[in-house]
Amino acid sequence: MDIGLNHFLLVSLLLFSIGLFGVMSRRNVLVILMSIELMLNAVNLSFVTFSQFYSLLSAQVAAFFVMTISAAEAGVGLALIVIISRKWPKRNFLFERDPEKEKKY
Amino acid sequence: MEILFIFFSALVLYGGLVTVFHRDLVVSALHLAGSMLALAGLFFILGAHFIAGVQVVVYAGAVMVLFVMVVMLFDLKKEDSVLFSKGLWPKIASLFFLIGLIAGILPLSLHLFQPLAAQVIEPTSTKELSRLLFTKYVLAFEVLGVLLLLIAVGVAVLCRSQKNVTTS
Repeated sequence: MDIGLNHFLLVSLLLFSIGLFGVMSRRNVLVILMSIELMLNAVNLSFVTFSQFYSLLSAQVAAFFVMTISAAEAGVGLALIVIISRKWPKRNFLFERDPEKEKKY
Repeated sequence: MEILFIFFSALVLYGGLVTVFHRDLVVSALHLAGSMLALAGLFFILGAHFIAGVQVVVYAGAVMVLFVMVVMLFDLKKEDSVLFSKGLWPKIASLFFLIGLIAGILPLSLHLFQPLAAQVIEPTSTKELSRLLFTKYVLAFEVLGVLLLLIAVGVAVLCRSQKNVTTS
């Protein structure tokens, strides 16, 4: 078996869909942030794969930028989570559905 | 090469699955860190040595430490009574998305795979990469520096305690 382009793409695809499932179906905001990191990592893997197989160096620069921006995004997201949990200590970061409030709208 | 690829990709997918499905936040964050380290191994197999090093330093060294520190320091670690949100449509939607992606990507990549099979992956030289980064993409690089400064100041302002805000 020879490891080729589509093996790496398949790993990247599976990782992306695991992250997408986490974003769409978990309730905890911290886990949702981690799933977003998973999706960004999957995209990075496909960038680097294409850059190596087609010898495009610009794709690696793009992967580098994606890493920087995801670090910034994690910082802001965690700060917001800290503020939310400080203001509403009882129902922190669980988006509870209130059926009575939903009826009003 | 094949054994290393299978090992690292299995580790990446296992870490991702445990991150999404585990109940405990600390276990989940640590498995995410392990998944990122294994992904750095995949980058190393691909020959992108600089990106692999940045992955280890930035993700496993900075971002995951930030996650674990927030979980432990601010005591956000509470057991979820219900792990997943109600409603079936997000799960069904993500399943259909996965099926669509696989159906879209498989013919394309099988088509691409044939002429490239004999091609050997050569490691990129970090010199070329840095030359590209500091000539063609230097504007984006500087903008990213400004963005990081902005993020640092913004997070510091956001996380001040409420008492300081009212007195100042």
